[in-house]
Amino acid sequence: MTDNYLIRVKDVSFSYQRKQIYKDLTLDIPKGKITAILGPSGTGKTTILRLIGAQLTPDKGTIEFDGINVHSLSRNALYKLRQRMSMLFQSGALFTDMTVFDNVAFPIREHTDLPEKLIFDIVMMNLEAVGMRAAANLYPSELSGGMARRAALARAIALDPDLVMYDEPFVGQDPITKGVLVKLIADINLSLGKTSVVVTHDVKEILEIAHYVYILAEGKVLGQGTPSEIIHSQDPRVIQFIQGDFDGPYAFKLKGSENYIEEL
Amino acid sequence: MLSFLGSLGRYSLFKLSSLGRSTLIFFHSIFVIPNIVKTFPLLISQVYFVGVQSVIIIIVSGLFIGMVLGLQGFNILKDFMATGSLGSLVSLAIIRELGPVVTALLFAGRAGSALTAEIGQLKASEQLSAMEMMAVDPLRRVIAPRFWAGMISMPILSILFCLVGIYGGKLVGVDWLGLDDGIYWSSMQASVDALKDLGPMVIKALVFGFVCTWIALFNGYDCKPTSEGISRATTATVVQSSLAVLGLDFVLTALMF
Amino acid sequence: MKYIKAEILVGLFVLLGIIASVVLALKVAGLVLDSDTQSYKLYAKFENIGSLRLRAPVRIGGVLIGRVSNISLDKQSLTPVVELSIEQQYNQISSESKAAIQTSGIIGEQYISITPGFYDEDMGSEYFKDGDYFTDTGSALVLEDLISKFVFNSSQDKKEDQKVADEQDKE
Repeated sequence: MTDNYLIRVKDVSFSYQRKQIYKDLTLDIPKGKITAILGPSGTGKTTILRLIGAQLTPDKGTIEFDGINVHSLSRNALYKLRQRMSMLFQSGALFTDMTVFDNVAFPIREHTDLPEKLIFDIVMMNLEAVGMRAAANLYPSELSGGMARRAALARAIALDPDLVMYDEPFVGQDPITKGVLVKLIADINLSLGKTSVVVTHDVKEILEIAHYVYILAEGKVLGQGTPSEIIHSQDPRVIQFIQGDFDGPYAFKLKGSENYIEEL
Repeated sequence: MLSFLGSLGRYSLFKLSSLGRSTLIFFHSIFVIPNIVKTFPLLISQVYFVGVQSVIIIIVSGLFIGMVLGLQGFNILKDFMATGSLGSLVSLAIIRELGPVVTALLFAGRAGSALTAEIGQLKASEQLSAMEMMAVDPLRRVIAPRFWAGMISMPILSILFCLVGIYGGKLVGVDWLGLDDGIYWSSMQASVDALKDLGPMVIKALVFGFVCTWIALFNGYDCKPTSEGISRATTATVVQSSLAVLGLDFVLTALMF
Repeated sequence: MKYIKAEILVGLFVLLGIIASVVLALKVAGLVLDSDTQSYKLYAKFENIGSLRLRAPVRIGGVLIGRVSNISLDKQSLTPVVELSIEQQYNQISSESKAAIQTSGIIGEQYISITPGFYDEDMGSEYFKDGDYFTDTGSALVLEDLISKFVFNSSQDKKEDQKVADEQDKE
């Protein structure tokens, strides 16, 4: 069964600046599928991606990428392994001193010795895939947020990685851009067969394309299953999150502010 | 009292850990086998950024410092009928101390702060993280070329400063105040020794270049990724570099002269 | 295109640095690249070389003809030996010449001044050859020695006066 999972997170605990973010978190990410990780803001959804990329080290537990414990690797081996994953950052994180073309060409130039002619073809192909070929010679400062994210996506898939991680891809985008990004994520998974992990709190968009869903809250997995299982879940907390009710098991009021009336 | 001791201990531990971190980062970025073909263009563009763009400020300040030394020196030496030693005074003051020290201070203010801000900005906008996730080591790709650029630029800037300063002294002493040209140069040549004065000058410049560049890079790499963090780191760079340069200058002078 | 400009400027920058260091070495430090200028060595023993330094100029009548290339101590006689490196073009210096350590100005640098001696083949005098020693040398004039000599002499005079006076008292 192991072969069906690209990433296995086992009993991971992690705290940042004395704040416990994960407690014994366990989740598996199936190969070649789109896995969504949902959760309210502030539960450290981005952190799980950084843990997988070994930019952060858990206090306890292991994370395996294709059977390799990523945190046991030496620096060089880790950099080798990272060539097989890529990440789309929330801000896009394009290099501001390069054009879009050079941004997409960057990982190819760094890791291969391909001739410039071939690099040109690969970059243009990737840019075409995200519909950004016309913007090849623009600088990131000249792009809109959605365009920057698409360019960053082209860069993320440039080296043909096994795993693409999306960090909040829909945040702050207009509905059309959201639709474009949803389509792109689905396309990349479908046509290129890449394992995708999408961290988000845009429930509606992601449930359309995800194959499997984890809902995180308070450092644990709150609910998991296929999108239809999640939608028909009986857990009141899951229902609240999916439907976006303002009050429910997760109180509208912050803890510790009960006696407002007394204060009055 | 106890809380004071406690905070002192915490502070020293904090400083100690950042020193250790800085050393580790240093080793990871410097002791790697560079890929010459890919690294050389980066180095060139960084030497342009760090060195070439600092030339104007270095030349202008060198000229003025040389002129001031020429003027002050001439007026004081006149009282002792020793204006003939002006060349020796100006050249020794500039080559032994002012050249490397003032260059380093200007370098910290001009290039060091810019380096910190640039790297802080890269960090705040997740560009360093993105590089890591693309399996490109930012220490090798971003930090190392900037470090070597600083190490290359600083001695060149320092030598330029010395030369311009000495000509500034000549401008005032010889061209304006009427000292004989030959006396100015010969008193200089009699007192400046190529190995004992110019050598230590270059050594000082290298040490200061190392210290200033490293402080700037580490502060940028280690800053909090917010606007406030970047501005704090930039200030810290200038303050720490200046203090380090002045302190080290004393040590180096004591060792070499 | 922008990149090319940066490359050219960096090239200029490095070139400027090299030129500046050469100028600094030649013009400021007075370094002479004497690798191609032929020279020969002469030696001179002095009683006291004062503060003579390596690379101090050697002059005849104020004209630079060479430099001090080494300073050592003769182990037997315990006198300083100065090695002078004289340019080959000045190879007609009589062996009767005198080398003296002099000071330019009161607080200036010390240098070696050579006073040319007469040259007459009949009298058996010849030109200096590589490795020859000066027979006639004049030591450095050390200001402190002069002063102390003066002070010492006058105080000794006083002491002797005192002695005479004491002896007279005893009697």
